[in-house]
Amino acid sequence: MPGMNSGLNDNNGILVTAFRAALLHQGLIVLLIFGVLAVAWISAREWLRPRRAVRSAVPEPAWRQLLRIGFGVIWIFDGLLQAQPAMPAGLPSQVIEPTAASSPGWVQHIVNWAGTAWSYHPIQAAASVVWIQIGIGVWLIAAPRGPWSRLAGLASVAWGLVVWVFGESFGGIFAPGLTWLFGAPGAVLFYCAAGVLIALPEREWHTPRIGRTILAVMGVFFLGMAVLQAWPGRGFWQGTLHGQPGTLTSMVSSMAGTPQPALFAGWVRAFASFTAAHGFAVNLFAVIALAAIGASMVTTAAGRGPAWLPRVTILALIAGCLADWVLIEDFGFFGGLGTDPNSMIPIILVVAAGYLALAPVPAPAAEPAAAAERAAAGTASAATQPAAAGAAAEPTARRLDWRPAQLARTFGAASTRAVLATWAVAIIILGTAPLALAQASSNASPIIAQAIDGDVAPLNYPAPAFTLTDQDGRQVSLASLHGKVVLLTFLDPVCTNDCPVIAQEFRQADQVLGAKSRNVELIAIVANPLYHSIAYTRAFDSQERLTGVPNWLYLTGSLAQLQQAWKNYAVAAQILPAGGMIAHSDVAYVIDAQGHTRAELDFDPGPGTASSVSSFAVELSDAAQNVMKSS
Amino acid sequence: MSSRHCRAALVVASPLIAAAMVAGCGSAPAASTTPAVPAAPPPLATSFADGTGPGWAIVEMGGSAAEENNFWEMFTRQASSAAWRLATPLGVADNGGLVATGTGGESLLTGFLPSQDLTFSPLAASANSGASWSPASPVNAGLAAVPDALAAGPGGDLIALTSGGAELGQPLGTSWTHLSSSRALAATPAGKSCGVAGLTAVAFGTAGVPMLAASCGHPGVVGIFADSDGRWEPAGPAVPAALARENIEVLRLAAVSAGLVALLRAGTGPAASVVAAWYDAGKWTVSAPLRAPAVRSTAIGPGGSVGIILNATRAATLAGPGGSWHALPALPKWAATLALGPSGQANAIAAHGGTFTDWRLAPTGWSRVQTINVTIPYGSSS
Repeated sequence: MPGMNSGLNDNNGILVTAFRAALLHQGLIVLLIFGVLAVAWISAREWLRPRRAVRSAVPEPAWRQLLRIGFGVIWIFDGLLQAQPAMPAGLPSQVIEPTAASSPGWVQHIVNWAGTAWSYHPIQAAASVVWIQIGIGVWLIAAPRGPWSRLAGLASVAWGLVVWVFGESFGGIFAPGLTWLFGAPGAVLFYCAAGVLIALPEREWHTPRIGRTILAVMGVFFLGMAVLQAWPGRGFWQGTLHGQPGTLTSMVSSMAGTPQPALFAGWVRAFASFTAAHGFAVNLFAVIALAAIGASMVTTAAGRGPAWLPRVTILALIAGCLADWVLIEDFGFFGGLGTDPNSMIPIILVVAAGYLALAPVPAPAAEPAAAAERAAAGTASAATQPAAAGAAAEPTARRLDWRPAQLARTFGAASTRAVLATWAVAIIILGTAPLALAQASSNASPIIAQAIDGDVAPLNYPAPAFTLTDQDGRQVSLASLHGKVVLLTFLDPVCTNDCPVIAQEFRQADQVLGAKSRNVELIAIVANPLYHSIAYTRAFDSQERLTGVPNWLYLTGSLAQLQQAWKNYAVAAQILPAGGMIAHSDVAYVIDAQGHTRAELDFDPGPGTASSVSSFAVELSDAAQNVMKSS
Repeated sequence: MSSRHCRAALVVASPLIAAAMVAGCGSAPAASTTPAVPAAPPPLATSFADGTGPGWAIVEMGGSAAEENNFWEMFTRQASSAAWRLATPLGVADNGGLVATGTGGESLLTGFLPSQDLTFSPLAASANSGASWSPASPVNAGLAAVPDALAAGPGGDLIALTSGGAELGQPLGTSWTHLSSSRALAATPAGKSCGVAGLTAVAFGTAGVPMLAASCGHPGVVGIFADSDGRWEPAGPAVPAALARENIEVLRLAAVSAGLVALLRAGTGPAASVVAAWYDAGKWTVSAPLRAPAVRSTAIGPGGSVGIILNATRAATLAGPGGSWHALPALPKWAATLALGPSGQANAIAAHGGTFTDWRLAPTGWSRVQTINVTIPYGSSS
C-alpha cells in the first residue's frame, strides 16, 4: 500500500542468504585454487627438481616487516568485517551515505555514485570487497621482498584510495567536525601511507631518511590536528552547550548507543559523561597531548632532543591512541556496521615503523639477490648486482621464459611465500571478476526486488476480462490484447510516491525487454475512485514520460467499471480523510498471450532509488520473458 | 633568513595553515547583507473572506513535513455563519499545500501543490462552499507555493501561477494557454523597470484583466502588472517615500468586491516592513508601513481588511482603506492564521496536530469559540 513503503532492510533474509551463498561458493573456489596451486607446486618440485633460488642476504628491516605484517593482518580483519550479513544492503545506507552526509555537495556526488554502483549489485559488491581485502592482506604477509612485495604495497595503496574516497568520503576532511579523536583524516589513508612505504625499492630500506621522513610528516600531522582541536567555535571546548551535548560528548554518546558488549558500552558511556562534565579539560588535554607528540616527532626527525625523547614519545602515543581507540572510537568496528578498526592502530603502526627506521642497520654484504619471489612473479632466476654504498642490492627483473617446461621449473623453484602470494593475487582476481562482470550490465540485480517483495507467485487461471478507455480515448479490452503478454498494474494518477515509482519500473522494464517489448503490453488501470478522468491519466503519462512509449496503456472508465476491475483483480482503493492519498494495493500481474494470469507480483515498488527501480524493471522483464518462453 | 630556517618555519606553519583551511571548510558562508531579492516567499497559511461568498482558511496540521506527515487542511464558513467546517477535498495527498479561489456565489476552486513525485497540480471544484468536491482538470505544471497561485475571473476564467510562469485557463481548467513567465515579464519595459526577480501572485483586475505580481530587484518599485492588449503595463501603487530605497515583494494580490487588495513587503530582515494597498475606482490607497521582520501568515477579510501574523504571539490587523495597523493581544498558542469577519472582527485560527481551534477576540481577550478534531492520515504519504 502507498504509505507502507518499507524500502530494504539491512538484515533482509533473502539478501543475507544470497550473500552467504556467494561467500561460500567463492570460498570453495579460493580453497580449490589453493589446492591446485599446492599440488602443482609440490609436483613441480618433486618431478622437475628445479634449482633452488638463492635467498637474498639483504635482510628486510624491522620497520617494513612491521608495516607489511601489521597492515596485512588489518586488511584481513577488514575483509572479515566486510563479511557481516548486513553488509550488502547496509553499506550504502549505514556507512557510505552517513559518512558523506556532512560533506560538501561535490563529495556527496562522488560518493553517492559509488553507493549507487554498489546497490545495483549488492551481493557481488559485498563479496568482492571481502575477497579483495583478504587477498591484499595475505599478499602483504606472504611476500616479504621483491617486485611482488612492492606490488602488494601498491595494491594496498590503490584499494586504500578507493576505500578512502568512496567508503570514507575522503576521510571526512571536507566535512565540519573534523578531529583526530574520531579518526581524521581517515584510517585508510594510513593504509595507503604504509603501502607507499612497503612499495619502496630495497635500496631505500636501510636509509635513515625513511624514519626521519615518517616522523616529520607524522609530527606535522599531529601539530595540525592539535591546532584543529584547539580551534574555537567548533564545539570541542564545551562538554555541553545550551543544555545540548558538545561536539565530542555528542560523538561519544552516539558511539555508546550502538549495539556492542555491555562492558565496552559502559566504558564509552562513562567517558561521555566525563566529557559532558569536563569538556574543557578533556579538550585541553587532547590539544596539549597532540601538540607535544607532534613537536617531539618533529624534533626527533630533525635529529635533536634528548636520547629518551623518541621512546617516551612512542609510549605516550601508544597509550593515547589506545585510550582513544577504546573510549572514543569504540574499537572502530562497534559503531554500527563497522568496516575497520579505525585509525588508531594504523597510526601506531606507522609511527612505530618510523622510529624503527631510525635505528642504524649494518649494510649488507653484496650477495646474489633474491630469486624466489621473482620466480613466483614470473621473473627469471636470481641476478646479482653490486650493492650500492650503504644500500642493499636491488633485484633486477629479467625476461620470462614462456616455454612450458621452463615455466614449470620456475614455478617449482618458487618459495612457499611466493606460492602464497600467487594465491593471494588469485583471491583478489576472484573477488574483482564477478563485480566487474556485473558492472558491465546497466541493469541492477533483480535480487533487490525479490528482497523487498519476495518471489514471484506462479499462477495459471483465466484473467478477468475488462473493457476500459485508454489515455487517447480508445476502448481497450483484455481480449483485444490476446497474442501479447500483458504486464498489468493499478495506479493512482495523483499519487505522490509509490505509483510514479511503479510507472518508472514499467517504463524501464520496456527498455530492458528491448526488441521483445513488441510482444508485451504495459497496462495500468486507474486506482482512484475520484480522480479518474482521461485528463488525469494524460497528466500522469506526461509526468512519467510515458507518452512516447508505444505499448503503454493507462486505462480508465466510469467508477462502476473501475470498481468491477478492482474487485476482479483483488485491488482495494480506499479514500482517506483530510488530505490523505488514496490507499490502494500495489500489485502487478503477468498475463500470457492466451489471456491467462501466470504470475502475481506483490509490488511495493521499494524506495524508488535508481537501483531499486532498475531491479524491479529486471524482475518484470524476467517475468514477462518467462511467460513468453512457457507459452 | 636561511633556506633551512625557511623550511623550519614552513614546517611549523603548515599545520596551522592546513588546520585553518580545514576549519574554514566547516564554517557557514557569511550572508550577503543586501540581497537583490526579498528572500522568503509569501506563507501559504491564509484565510479569505469577502463578505459575500464563502470564507476559507487554509492551515498546516499534522506532524513533520520532513516525513510527509504534514497535511494542509481547508476550512470554510458561510458568509452568514461564524461556524467553520472541515472542507479539505479528498482523493489527493496535500502535503505540498493547498491554494483556493472563489469562483462566484458558493463556488470554490482548490489546487493541490506538488509534493514528492507528483509534479502537476490536481484541481477540485465545489459549488456548495466546500461541502462536496468534484475533480476539475489539472494544471500540468505544478502550482507555485504562494497563496495567490490561483485566481478566478468573470465567466470562470482562471489564471494559475506555476513553476513555469502564469497560465490562462478556461473555466474548471479544461484547457490552459501560456500567459507569461518571470523571464518574459522581465524582458518587457515594465518588467525592466521593476527588475523582476520572480512571480508571486496572480489575479483578475476589476474589468477581468489578468494581472501578475512579482518581487522587484529595483528598489521602490511595486511589481504589479496588468495585461493591456497583450502588453504588460505597470499597475502597482507608489510606495511611501520611506520605503523608496527598499526592494518590494508583493505578498498578496487578490480581487475583492471593492477592487483589489495587495500586501507588500519592503526590505528584508529586522528592518523589513509590510504595507497594505487597495485599488478602487482607478486609484491606489496605501497604508502606513508596519515593522514586520517576519510574516507567518496573511489574511484578507471583508471590506479589504487585512491581517498578518508576525510571530508566535504578535499579529496586527488593518480595517481597510484609510485605516491604521492595530496590534492584537498576544495570540493563542499554535495560532496559524487570522480570520477576519465583518465589522472588523478578528479571529485566530490555531492548528496543532489534529486539532483546529477558532479563537475569537473579545474585549477580555481571546476566547475559544469552536474546536474541530481532524482525523489526520498520518503515515499515508510516506
